[in-house]
Amino acid sequence: MDDDGAARWAIRRDAGPLSPGEQRELDAWLAADERREGALLRAEAALVYIARAPALIDAEDFPAAPEEEAPAPARIARRRFLAGGAVAGAAIAAGVAGVLLMPSGQEFSTTVGEVRRLPLADGSVATVNTASRIAVALEPEQRHITLEEGEAWFQVAHDAHRPFVVDIGNVRVRAIGTAFSVRRNPEGVDILVTEGVVETWTEGQEATRIRIAQGERSFVATGTGAIVAVKAADEIERALAWRDGGLALNGEPLSYAVAELNRYNHRKLVVEDPVLARMPIVGYFRTNEPGDFARAVAPLIGARVEMRSGNMHLVATGS
Amino acid sequence: MGQSRAEIIAWVAGNVIPHEAALRARLRRMAVAGEEIDDIVQETYLNIARLKSVAHIRDGRGYLFTAARMVMLQRIRRNRIVRIDHLTDTQALALEDDAPGPERHVAARRELARVRRMIEDLPPRCREIFELRRVEGFSQREIAERLDLPEHTIEQQAIRGLKLILKAITTEDRESADPSETRHATLKGTSGNG
Repeated sequence: MDDDGAARWAIRRDAGPLSPGEQRELDAWLAADERREGALLRAEAALVYIARAPALIDAEDFPAAPEEEAPAPARIARRRFLAGGAVAGAAIAAGVAGVLLMPSGQEFSTTVGEVRRLPLADGSVATVNTASRIAVALEPEQRHITLEEGEAWFQVAHDAHRPFVVDIGNVRVRAIGTAFSVRRNPEGVDILVTEGVVETWTEGQEATRIRIAQGERSFVATGTGAIVAVKAADEIERALAWRDGGLALNGEPLSYAVAELNRYNHRKLVVEDPVLARMPIVGYFRTNEPGDFARAVAPLIGARVEMRSGNMHLVATGS
Repeated sequence: MGQSRAEIIAWVAGNVIPHEAALRARLRRMAVAGEEIDDIVQETYLNIARLKSVAHIRDGRGYLFTAARMVMLQRIRRNRIVRIDHLTDTQALALEDDAPGPERHVAARRELARVRRMIEDLPPRCREIFELRRVEGFSQREIAERLDLPEHTIEQQAIRGLKLILKAITTEDRESADPSETRHATLKGTSGNG
């Protein structure tokens, strides 16, 4: 392994943009042995790996230091699980882990940055995103889920005699055997269907159910009963990148990207400049590594990263 | 959709680097010589470096082992493994992750402890510079000003630190070391290779 050269170039590239002369030097170094390209990737990734320590602290759901307390709701939920005899592993946002079997009639919540896959007793699986809360009641006539907060993706085991119904405020989504996600926002409820068909309606308006099919999404604004489904196949896969710990962006403004990443991390990204906030961003980012996002994006939009009281501010280079 | 290099690096950092030591341990158990292991690992990284996108790869550890298996097969075809002539395709195909399911997911806490230990094990000056850069996010110039040292010295120390980190990621540490390692090491010793 050419660790010497790889380490030197990884550090230089990390320090800032290479001068044209340095770039030529790097190109020559890479051209001398094709395997150096792999060695350089490894060295640069090792640097990022080391920088992950703060992100990992965020992902921890138990106190990193004795004086730090994890948020109370998560602790209660966890204790309930341990009492249920399940083996609780610390799920990190990057990898969806865990083999818990969700007991019926229970509540479950995830902490900031946690993504958890939750197999249900009927064979369905709920993948619960960051800072979310769901309640599960598997009754003989109906499988009933309440999404109290946040976002979840459901892979529903087929059972024609026992519909699977998710309550999100006054919005209902009913499935028999399918896969779909729901997200609860202050503005309304977002429903994405990845497989099969679901039916959705708002409470009290059962007569005006609409069907949302695979590859369609629907948004039900708070306070309205109108539900419209639109085709959005590509968008759906991107919108659900969180299941793999990712955030996929295809030209969404920086303000949106920052709001999304901040859902997953205690260390917040801040953009105050309205011009920067509107910059379109393209790419696939890890939700638990806001620092990497900031460093990757800053040079592309003419910004730099400033640390202020633990948060990362993206500031226009000219200012 | 192609990904930027920064995204691929971030993905490798989160999904491949943490498992490199496990891959090396597995190769050692197959009695592959040390230099061969280095070459296989390096070629595996090269194959990953050439990917246009990693967004479709769900299991980084699984991918690392699969990629390494392909590299081994290619090397056998090209007859580049001369040191271990008994190693056949069938044996190369046996290269897979034999860790029990839960072990495959490196728990956040354990990974954090490992990263912390790697930083702690650096020489003091190196460590200080690493922490200022990696954890606090200061630029090389800011660190030079803070420590009242030439920027060149900071760069040299950072390179030295990274080289030590690159060495540290090749071995599983005390906490996460595979308990079956010792037993296999003995087998390797008697197999006449190495």
